[in-house]
Amino acid sequence: NALIGTPGDCQPCPCPDRTSCSQIAETGQVVCTNCPAGRTGMRCQMCEDGYYGDPLGQSGAARPCARCDCNGNVDFNAVGICDHVTGRCLKCLGHTEGDQCQRCRRGFYGDALNQTAVQKCRACSCNPAGTSGHVNECHPQTGDCRCLGHVTGRDCSYCEVGFFNLQPGVGCERCKCNPIGSSS
Amino acid sequence: PRPDVHPLPPGTHLLFAQSGRIEHVPLEGHDMKKEDAKAVLHLPEKVIIGVAYDCVEKMVYWTEITSPSISKASIQGGEPTEVIRSDLDSPEGIAVDHLGRTLFWTDSVKDRIEVASLDGSQRRVIIDSDLVNPRAIITDPPNGNLYWTDWNRDAPKIETSYMDGSNRRVLVKDDLGLPNGLTYDPQSSMLCWADAGTHKMECTHPARGDRRQVMEGIQYPFGITSFGKNIYYTDWRRDAVVAVDRYAGKESDQFQPQKRTKLYGITTAYAQCPSGQNYCAVN
Repeated sequence: NALIGTPGDCQPCPCPDRTSCSQIAETGQVVCTNCPAGRTGMRCQMCEDGYYGDPLGQSGAARPCARCDCNGNVDFNAVGICDHVTGRCLKCLGHTEGDQCQRCRRGFYGDALNQTAVQKCRACSCNPAGTSGHVNECHPQTGDCRCLGHVTGRDCSYCEVGFFNLQPGVGCERCKCNPIGSSS
Repeated sequence: PRPDVHPLPPGTHLLFAQSGRIEHVPLEGHDMKKEDAKAVLHLPEKVIIGVAYDCVEKMVYWTEITSPSISKASIQGGEPTEVIRSDLDSPEGIAVDHLGRTLFWTDSVKDRIEVASLDGSQRRVIIDSDLVNPRAIITDPPNGNLYWTDWNRDAPKIETSYMDGSNRRVLVKDDLGLPNGLTYDPQSSMLCWADAGTHKMECTHPARGDRRQVMEGIQYPFGITSFGKNIYYTDWRRDAVVAVDRYAGKESDQFQPQKRTKLYGITTAYAQCPSGQNYCAVN
């Protein structure tokens, strides 16, 4: 308040990089009005939408505001894609999950970090006849389903060499070929 | 913390969200009085996405995603009040039916559209299927219609229903990209949208179904609102409010706030409510 008439009437704004502030008449509270890029809050202590960090170190060591890092598995047209303090990704796409959308969701397999793949995470889709597990249960990277005895293939859909007749819940039977009359 | 609230002078204004605040630009005729632009509301801890205006009680309503909630405050000065605070994930678009005294919003994580009375009571889900990225929502109170956009990258669309969610229909689905903004002009009965994928602004007459391009080559629209001959939209690339003369089909002015960050929802705060009434207002 410049009208009191003391040397301390005007005080510097408590804002970074000498940015501007304004004082709320009723409460005397000071709010920074032009925080540096990526920052917001009364004292520019928060990161804006699309950024995360803790620029003033309010909960531990100070971390400047950085862009949300979600391994390319979020849509730039979305809002609120990561937690503005921890950076935890909140809107993972393409069946990915994790704090950085870094892995495939349960029931899917592939490489969530592969920036060139058209479809990073594919559905397990295990063959219900050949799997001993659930149709949505497979190895997160390879996609291998858990197969019944002598059943093979990524999705457990066919019999091993020397076996035939895939029976749901049972597996495949050994071929009963006469060793004398068979060529293999 | 108590935010500072600057009461608005009478007249028509544009209200728009810029992360931690709601700003206003007075309109003189159709011109933005840029030198008189000011923050109406400082909410420095919040990320405000959608804004809507109730012309009856002169209240601004907004959605917020930091601690997902819907709040309101009088534009004549007053404390913000939370209206909806539970069971929200990512509330985005918001619209007021000033005749029925209700509030509608989209939630892009729950993928649904809800309605409640303006005080937050009588909350109800009205649409909860076939939504992927619902965003803008607007009302046409005299005719009892609701309109919304879904920017689903695989199948973007603009839909309509009655205000209870019944009679749902797809209005537009071809040649859409990212329809972020939607507005309805009661005088011309035109529904207009801004698309950040096709970079076009287009309009349709919902009952007739004809479609007309207003402008192309716009950059990255997010929110859009109409007032008479003008359409105003917020742009993520330009960090500005852009005015477009929809009959001339060209940009007429822009307002770039000093603070260079993303602008989100925008709405027109009318000096008076548009004329018209509906069944719910009478009964």
